[in-house]
Amino acid sequence: MKFQIEDVTVYFPYDHIYPEQYSYMIELKRALDAKGHCLLEMPTGTGKTIALLSLITSYSLSKPQSPIKLIYCTRTVHEMEKTLAELKLLHNYQIKHLGPQARILAIGLSSRKNLCVNPTVLAAENRDSVDAGCRKLTASWVRAMAAENPNVPTCQFFENYEKAASAAVLPPGVYTLQDLRAFGKEKGWCPYFLARHMVQFANVVVYSYQYLLDPKVAGIISKEMQKESVVVFDEAHNIDNVCIEALSVSVRRQTLEGATRNLNRISQEIDSRKNLFHKLGPKPTYAVGLFHGRFKATDASRLRSEYNRLVEGLALRGNLPITDTWLSNPALPDDILKEAVPGNIRRAEHFLHVLRRLVQYLRGRLETDNVEKESPVGFVASISSHAGIDQKTLKFCYDRLHSLMLTLEITDTDEFLHIQTICDFATLIGTYARGFSIIIEPFDERMPHIPDPVLQLSCHDASLAIKPVFDRFQSVVITSGTLSPIDLYPRLLNFHPVVSRSFTMSLTRDCICPMVLTRGSDQLPVSTKFDMRSDPGVVRNYGKLLLEMVSVVPDGIVCFFVSYSYMDGIINTWNDSGILKEIMQHKLVFIETQDVVETTLALDNYRRACDCGRGAVFFSVARGKVAEGIDFDRHYGRLVIMFGVPFQYTLSKILLARLEYLRDTFQIKEGDFLTFDALRQAAQCVGRVIRSKADYGMMIFADKRYSRHDKRSKLPSWILSHLRDANLNLSTDMALHIAREFLRKMAQPYDKTGGSDRKTLLSQEDLEKMGDGSVHEMLY
Amino acid sequence: MASGHVTKRAKYKTTIKDPGTPGTLRMTLEKILFVPHNPKSAGKLDVEFRFIKGQKHTKEGSSKPPWLNLTNNQNGSFIFEFENYSDLQDCRDFVGKVLAKSGEVSEKPTVTYPDEQLSAAEMELRIKLLREDSELQKLHKQFVLSGVLTEAEFWATRKKLLDREANKKTKQRLGFKSAMISDIKPSTDGRTNKVTFNLTPEIILQIFAEKPAVHRAFLTYVPNKMSERDFWTKYFRAEYLHSTKNSVAAAAEAAEDEELAVFLKQDDILASESRSKIRRVDPTLDMDADEGDDYTHLPDHGIFRDGSKEVTESENELYRRTLSQDINRHAAVVLEGRAVDVELEDTRSVAEALARSKQESSTKGESYGDTSRERLDRVSRMTEIEDLQAPNNLPLAPLCIKDPRDYFDSQQVNALRTSGDELAGTEQIKCSLSSQEVYGSLRESISVIKAMGLKDPIVKPEVAHQVFDALTQSISTTKYNIGKNPQESVLDRLPKKIKEELLHHWTSILELLRHFWASYPITTSYLYTKVNRLKDAMSHIYPQLEEIKGSVPSDLRHQVSLLIRPMHQALDAAIQHYEADMQKRSARSGERPNGYA
Repeated sequence: MKFQIEDVTVYFPYDHIYPEQYSYMIELKRALDAKGHCLLEMPTGTGKTIALLSLITSYSLSKPQSPIKLIYCTRTVHEMEKTLAELKLLHNYQIKHLGPQARILAIGLSSRKNLCVNPTVLAAENRDSVDAGCRKLTASWVRAMAAENPNVPTCQFFENYEKAASAAVLPPGVYTLQDLRAFGKEKGWCPYFLARHMVQFANVVVYSYQYLLDPKVAGIISKEMQKESVVVFDEAHNIDNVCIEALSVSVRRQTLEGATRNLNRISQEIDSRKNLFHKLGPKPTYAVGLFHGRFKATDASRLRSEYNRLVEGLALRGNLPITDTWLSNPALPDDILKEAVPGNIRRAEHFLHVLRRLVQYLRGRLETDNVEKESPVGFVASISSHAGIDQKTLKFCYDRLHSLMLTLEITDTDEFLHIQTICDFATLIGTYARGFSIIIEPFDERMPHIPDPVLQLSCHDASLAIKPVFDRFQSVVITSGTLSPIDLYPRLLNFHPVVSRSFTMSLTRDCICPMVLTRGSDQLPVSTKFDMRSDPGVVRNYGKLLLEMVSVVPDGIVCFFVSYSYMDGIINTWNDSGILKEIMQHKLVFIETQDVVETTLALDNYRRACDCGRGAVFFSVARGKVAEGIDFDRHYGRLVIMFGVPFQYTLSKILLARLEYLRDTFQIKEGDFLTFDALRQAAQCVGRVIRSKADYGMMIFADKRYSRHDKRSKLPSWILSHLRDANLNLSTDMALHIAREFLRKMAQPYDKTGGSDRKTLLSQEDLEKMGDGSVHEMLY
Repeated sequence: MASGHVTKRAKYKTTIKDPGTPGTLRMTLEKILFVPHNPKSAGKLDVEFRFIKGQKHTKEGSSKPPWLNLTNNQNGSFIFEFENYSDLQDCRDFVGKVLAKSGEVSEKPTVTYPDEQLSAAEMELRIKLLREDSELQKLHKQFVLSGVLTEAEFWATRKKLLDREANKKTKQRLGFKSAMISDIKPSTDGRTNKVTFNLTPEIILQIFAEKPAVHRAFLTYVPNKMSERDFWTKYFRAEYLHSTKNSVAAAAEAAEDEELAVFLKQDDILASESRSKIRRVDPTLDMDADEGDDYTHLPDHGIFRDGSKEVTESENELYRRTLSQDINRHAAVVLEGRAVDVELEDTRSVAEALARSKQESSTKGESYGDTSRERLDRVSRMTEIEDLQAPNNLPLAPLCIKDPRDYFDSQQVNALRTSGDELAGTEQIKCSLSSQEVYGSLRESISVIKAMGLKDPIVKPEVAHQVFDALTQSISTTKYNIGKNPQESVLDRLPKKIKEELLHHWTSILELLRHFWASYPITTSYLYTKVNRLKDAMSHIYPQLEEIKGSVPSDLRHQVSLLIRPMHQALDAAIQHYEADMQKRSARSGERPNGYA
């Protein structure tokens, strides 16, 4: 369907539209018009993504003189694929109605591991080895060598891509990662570098959060994006955590050992051509390299050029060939001073000495029996006094290391992750004086008998990482199904939205049925509160609840637990007491484990079990990967049970430090933040079951604490509005009864467009009939 | 024997243990007569030969005395002990001859069913079936005992019931059990510390399917390297070590015993399988790809210890196996279904069959190689929001089954308009078909089907429509008349006796008609007589139906006649067909005096 929103003709690929999608588009357009940022909360299952995509693409189509670029950030690769699939649908529709002028280029961008088509590189186990494997074949010096010596292996796909040079472009269209790979295979071009290259020409780029938020990645991928871009963070309820993680580093004993090994190797490399370096003083002379075949006369000039580069500052990395870049500086671009590298680390050996001293110092700090907490300023001061490394030197560590490794032509970068971590750490503490703290723990509190010291640099201020994004781009849209309370996010992220709205869901029928279960079948309270969680009665009651439910609910059931250890414990107990066996007689059981491959396969099997009618239960963990990114819509999830309240581990030193920071800086109370955080996770978990209004699902919050007002009220309004008072304090038998009733009701046919008084599905005529204002009247 | 009778001295025994009454045994073609020497004793016997079903006798040279055991059709038996074997032989030959003769007589009408000799098991099955199903018993009584149908004919149409046992095996392949077998409970003898595990081929198959490494180990080790018993002992030793969750102990034991280590280690076959499977996984849940895109979680980057990540002991990781893994693996195997379709007998055959089926599936998997297309389709299907769009399939009015009366009420008008004349039409179609026409149309439709496949409905739309209309009409009038309660049916309103009678008639008519139509075309004299018998039986039912109609109260008469009408129609059609056929036959038999009729 096609309709006007003020001056923009919106192309929407379906025959009908939900009213909330329509008002979502209106708000979004306001933000775009105002060239400002916005914060929009709309329940899951109301088609946010397609509403966003169709408004923004239509907006840029209607203003051909100043087309805006859409940068769409998803949390996971599979969400990326889903978004691109929706965009494909939309694109086809627009082309059908507008013809070739609607053509756009939309690409998804991911790591080499997901885009590479070279079978020898792909054989590697993990991402870092794939990256290194690629570098081994495509680094500029490797290719230069290959030009002289045909026995040096190179990547055929990359060579073809280079040969095609400017002819290597993607024709307009929507490319999922799969499509990119297929295109690359067909043309014989490397899809990864092709996509990297096309990012600057694409109208829509879909990639992961980190490509924009994590300075290490953003520095190489996103630095050339124009200001006239709309950045969308979808499913952004966890965005503060992503920001914080992006700037946090931890150092363990293994890291230090690895770093020492790395340093030895680097010094060997340097020693093997010591002469060269001796001759290369501040006044460079031309040395004649007489060493291995690798080092020829050109070495001297390259080393000299490195030195010059270091003198001029580090902003020159942009001139490096695309294949030579690695992860960029961990600090944010604006914080990197465009000045010369300090003289005391310009020489490789001196730099190595600095690093050795730093590692030595950190090792000393790890040998502690007590938990220590320090601010970056204090830590830097103590490094300066004990190891003689000043703050400015620390700040340049990462880039100096990078430069050195390039000069040494090291391709197996995956071997050097440890020293990289140390330099990351050094650069971060050298750069930021506030918003961080350094915490040294001698062991994990939960296993005090196993010494495992760790030094963590943890970021507390989410606004640090996201600040350049807000500053740089014209509009930033933060949207999710759970952003309640919506006024908290601007404070956490420190920005000023021009539009900040929370939409409710207009339902044709009560297709969601939230319940709070406070008591088990024996009428005793259930909870995962610390003092109750290991109570056998609670475990049994939880088991009985699930057992009753699997016998009533058809198809898929999803269960979320508060942590892996709790889930493992409870499953073992159920297995011993035979409850699990009884559950298995009704449905197959699948479990999320910490192994991603296994979990993915379990999920795939779970879906197949639901598809074939066998029915299945999936056990998962709140805050886990499944809870974050997998949908359990339609028959894949008719019921979701949230066992307990997913509070963070409140004894964690890092969490305590963060809470303290939040209290001091934003005046957010600890308890409020913890509850907010737990409830957004819970809402996120249960929100996975619904995808459209034709869908239906039940949600059981199984913990007595949910019945308390202060907890419950933090749930998003679209859940609260369906939580009837009668369902606030249920026991297992009552919940079972409600479930039966609900399922029977949902099985009846119904009128999809809603009643006459309250339309929940609008057709094109409906939209034309009413002015812009009347939608609101109808909705609210 | 030519004399037609034989007389011998013998002892008559009622049971084997009975010492026997001495007397004279006289057998004629008709009967067996035994007269005891002592006229006062009670062993006098006079049995007609037609009750005798078979005979058994002891062998010459065996330790037993010469006995002849005649069994009658009530499963009773008469035992005679002769003085010597030659007497026994004479009697035995005589009985055999007489039985053969009577057998010829009784077998004559059933030449088409030469296998009338039933084993006791079959007989038992039939009796059991009759006993279980009172309706069947009634029919049996009505037709077989009254001679309308023979026993064989009656059962011939119910072959399915009879080989139910045989069918059971092939009907549906059983999958694996949903419950885990990993916890096979051992039994202890209570005195020593020994435990005993009971393994069935079923369990073994499941173990092999869930643990390919164990399967491979079995194929390589047994029986060359160790006996099957040792193999399983080791296996359960490993399982025990797992259950103690003591990975250190497991590692220690594995270091000492390399065969045991096979069971304790992570399953490498599973790992490689999962690596290939992950490529085919639905991209909307491919979390492995996320991992590859995640630069925050570089080793040592991000927040390391905030309680959300779990602590695992990294040492002895090799020997850890969690319950979750087992459960996932088990569910996956159950979902895959059973690939092996052999009689599960011994472990070796189970293992080999599984290996074969695996090989097949792996070659199949390779040929499917590129599933990317399918994956993409799946994604695009998943992305569409279903209720924003008109459904893809043809427009249809949703059928609401809340109250069928709504529909039939609305059809009442239509039904009244198209009154009974169309019903007459259907009848005509049914009976005006001559065999040539049938043959012609059959050939035609076969050629059509050959040409374009079975696309068109077998029943022509017009005919279907007529039948449908008639049905609708009768149902809707009934519904209309009954009114309120949708659950109530016409039959419930009739008196119970009449209802049962009607139902019984209906089943018996169906039975008769089935036999009747199955007899055509009449090719043997046997069928001819059968058809006659059936026709008589049918015409017998006819007035009974009328009688029922008459006996019901007037307010129900209309309903009953509605119910009876289709029965009448069916009977009419049959009788009409019979008469037409008779006419043709008599016309032809004039030309061909040697006709079998």
